[in-house]
Amino acid sequence: MRKLLQFLHQYNYWFLFIILEVTSFILIFKYNNYQHSVYLTSANTATGKMYEWKSTVTSYFHLKSINEDLLDRNIELEKKIANLQATIREEYSLEEDHRLLDDVVTSKYKFFKAHVVQNSLNSANNFITLDKGSLDGIRPEMGVIDGNGVVGIVYKTSPHYSWVMSLLNTKSNISCKIAGNNYFGNLTWEYGDVGYAYLRDLPRHATFSLGDTIVTSGFSAIFPEGILVGTIDDMSDIDDGFSFYLKVKLSVDFGKLDGVRVIENEDLMERKQLGED
Amino acid sequence: MAARYINYILWFFGLLIVQVLLLNNVLVFGYATPYLYIYLLFFMDSSLVSRNQLMVWAFFLGLGVDIGSNTLGMNAAAAVLLAFSRPMLISMFCQVNDDANNFRPSIRNMGVAGYLKYLSLGVLIHHIALLSIEFFKISSLSMLSLRIIGSAILTTICIFAIERIRNN
Repeated sequence: MRKLLQFLHQYNYWFLFIILEVTSFILIFKYNNYQHSVYLTSANTATGKMYEWKSTVTSYFHLKSINEDLLDRNIELEKKIANLQATIREEYSLEEDHRLLDDVVTSKYKFFKAHVVQNSLNSANNFITLDKGSLDGIRPEMGVIDGNGVVGIVYKTSPHYSWVMSLLNTKSNISCKIAGNNYFGNLTWEYGDVGYAYLRDLPRHATFSLGDTIVTSGFSAIFPEGILVGTIDDMSDIDDGFSFYLKVKLSVDFGKLDGVRVIENEDLMERKQLGED
Repeated sequence: MAARYINYILWFFGLLIVQVLLLNNVLVFGYATPYLYIYLLFFMDSSLVSRNQLMVWAFFLGLGVDIGSNTLGMNAAAAVLLAFSRPMLISMFCQVNDDANNFRPSIRNMGVAGYLKYLSLGVLIHHIALLSIEFFKISSLSMLSLRIIGSAILTTICIFAIERIRNN
């Protein structure tokens, strides 16, 4: 303690010197704009640098929580993208429908929008369940299409659901023709490959080439004329020698069926009655 | 003793007024300004004014000049530095047997050469401190050194002349 006091006494002029200089510099930085601004700028640079160093260190501590936040955000965005894509697809398929139907539609056809709630591919007689039923105006023997082409025919309806005989059903039989000329035949499906169906009873003198488009003929009145079914993939003769047997690549992907349109033909009953008479 | 103090106080205000009203407006060759006011710190008697007292004198003298020239703190800081280093300067350039704490620096006591060294080094210390603070950036180093050297020469000549006259 004594030594400390002695030390303080011996070097007291140092303390006075430092006090006076510090006072002077405080005055300098406080009352002189230029020095003040230089001080502020360099002080800001220094503190900024320090904060930068600090953040480079501390940023690692938060990586885990940031990562989790990012994951959450990612999931959210993925959901949004899926929703948007679904919306776009719906709009797009609607447009496609219109384009497809614009060519063929006349006032006698009405369209109902419906969604597939159940679908099968692996049985010999595949059926599709739609979320619209008789209360929505769906009746048996209405045609069902989606953005890419023919899907099937309504087989039975309940008040809120309808049961559609898919094109992929050995009992389905749709009258089709080759687009561009009017040679027609019956489209059937054979158990096996869900991407292909077969067009029978096409006259031998019909002219076509592989890749030609197969559309509905309109004879059955279930489908309007000219709705896309698929393209000719392969051809062979039938045993009786009177007709061709065409392998048709279906344009509809039955594996991802969702939004479909049900077609009502207002003349159908009239035509049926005429047939019965 | 009281007379000496009064003498110092008169010098204090006289130098202050001359510095603020006259010499601050002088700019020889665009570089040199005489800072005559520090003369007081060179001739004060160590036996009368201790090192600490000298620093306080220097502080208020510098502050007075600062107030007059709107450079608050700059002259005070430089003058305090000069007062702080004065005992070292005296012991460097004075071979007298007297203790440095009991001494009045003058041409008579130190000889012309000794006094000139003492004076010029002290002036240089003060000017380096003052002008560095005033410029406050390294980029204008050549201009800064020109101003320091020019002002130091001018101040040294002025103080030496006055000291010479007073001693005759």
